[in-house]
Amino acid sequence: MSQPRPPGELRLGRHSFAPHQLLVMAIVNRTPDSFYRPGITWDEGAAMERVHEVVAEGADIIDIGGVPAAPGAEVDAGEEIRRTAGFVAAVRAAYPDIVISSDTWRHEVGREVCAAGADLLNDSWGGHDAKLAEVAAEFGAALVCAHVGHQRPRTRPFRVSYPDVLADVLDQTLAQARRAVAAGVDPARIVIDPAHDFGKNTWHSLEITRRLDEMTATGWPVLVSLSNKDFVGETLNVPPDERVTGTLAATAISAWHGARIYRVHQVRQTRQVLNMVSAIRGDIPPARTVRGLA
Amino acid sequence: MITAAALCPAPPLLARELTGGDPVLPELREACLAAVRALQRTRPEVIAIVGPAEQTGVWDSSSRLDLGIYAPAVGGGGTAGLPPSLGLGVMLLDQAGYNGRRLLQAAGDEEPASGCDGIGAELARLPERTALLVMADGSARRSRRAPGALDERSAGFDAGVEQAIRSGDMAALSKTDQVLARELMATGWPSWQVLARALRGTRPPCEVLYTGDPFGVAYLVAVLLAAPA
Repeated sequence: MSQPRPPGELRLGRHSFAPHQLLVMAIVNRTPDSFYRPGITWDEGAAMERVHEVVAEGADIIDIGGVPAAPGAEVDAGEEIRRTAGFVAAVRAAYPDIVISSDTWRHEVGREVCAAGADLLNDSWGGHDAKLAEVAAEFGAALVCAHVGHQRPRTRPFRVSYPDVLADVLDQTLAQARRAVAAGVDPARIVIDPAHDFGKNTWHSLEITRRLDEMTATGWPVLVSLSNKDFVGETLNVPPDERVTGTLAATAISAWHGARIYRVHQVRQTRQVLNMVSAIRGDIPPARTVRGLA
Repeated sequence: MITAAALCPAPPLLARELTGGDPVLPELREACLAAVRALQRTRPEVIAIVGPAEQTGVWDSSSRLDLGIYAPAVGGGGTAGLPPSLGLGVMLLDQAGYNGRRLLQAAGDEEPASGCDGIGAELARLPERTALLVMADGSARRSRRAPGALDERSAGFDAGVEQAIRSGDMAALSKTDQVLARELMATGWPSWQVLARALRGTRPPCEVLYTGDPFGVAYLVAVLLAAPA
């Protein structure tokens, strides 16, 4: 296992973020079939409307995806590029300053989206394509190193088990981070992600949430992707459109444990939760305090 | 001498502790327990649990399932590395109150038919009255939401396995296609091979206690009563 590094600045695009700055990454999927509100931003006009909306709500990062995580209709690299690269360019033109992330595991796609203006390659499939890190290095982009156990892209977990799930998460994500540094990625642009639900059952996802402080203690910036996922649904026994409350509870715990990036569907609510936790931690002052003070 | 065989699936959710506040599939658990009780009624001197695993091998008979590999908050204290299919079989024996001798036989996922035959033949040769608890699952690609997503071939494949078991046709069961089983994520293949060899030459009457695929994985619970020697 790697030596812990002091939590330091996180560089994304031209921005630099201090450890206490919690960032909201808004999901904008260019897919007809993602699990949460499928197809809502499949149309390019609707997708750009969504970008305007989430920027207004306080998103720091726009995460653009072209392939759902679940098994389904084949989306090859060419189609993924058609779905996302042009849109990345359009968002970049509309918002020169916003951090743009591309949710992809393929280096061919990574190359095209970085050329179009993406700042961050959000590899949800745990380094399945080792060349993705080389692309991040080449373009000076940031890279997310996620834990997926033994899952291949677009597969569901089937009776997965771990002697110690968090140990496996640390082993895999830190090994990927080391490989990324070796490939030339700027260490200040590397993020680790325990990847809730990916290669995990609900008990495993609850465990990594409970023990997320062990992950943030490594010093690498931690991203969590909790939004409306099955582990929330199974914990509360609710369908996808009733998982916001559970998502926000997990968000609060993750923030308390020191995660720095939150990949979400609900930007405004997430921002409020993060501000509340940051204020409780003493990292930011409350917005306005009058009570008992007048 | 084989007295009987029970077939049970081996999903982790067979362990009630793993399904949280909801029992999820109590009828499946009940069917599995009923199958084990049917084995007990044949007055076995030993119950051999056969289950798929990464590697072929025999495990210590005092081994127990470690639930912690699935639910860290729940488990702990089991036998490190015990193949889950065997661990779930042990759990069923414990729940049925079986205190007699056990034999824990793992059949490797990559074990060729000849290797499975060897295991089955060895079990058939045991001098004691031996009952088999055979842990085996059908395809995990039975529906769109299944772990392996839908493969249209899964229904026919599982129906073929079920038909062979229902009719006690061990020759037909032994011909189950290994390559197709792998493609359909039917992890029970090595167990079926072992069973087919252990009961070769007999046509045991069968009682099916449960069949279904509520989560996209084909589960079959059945009891095969071996004909008296």
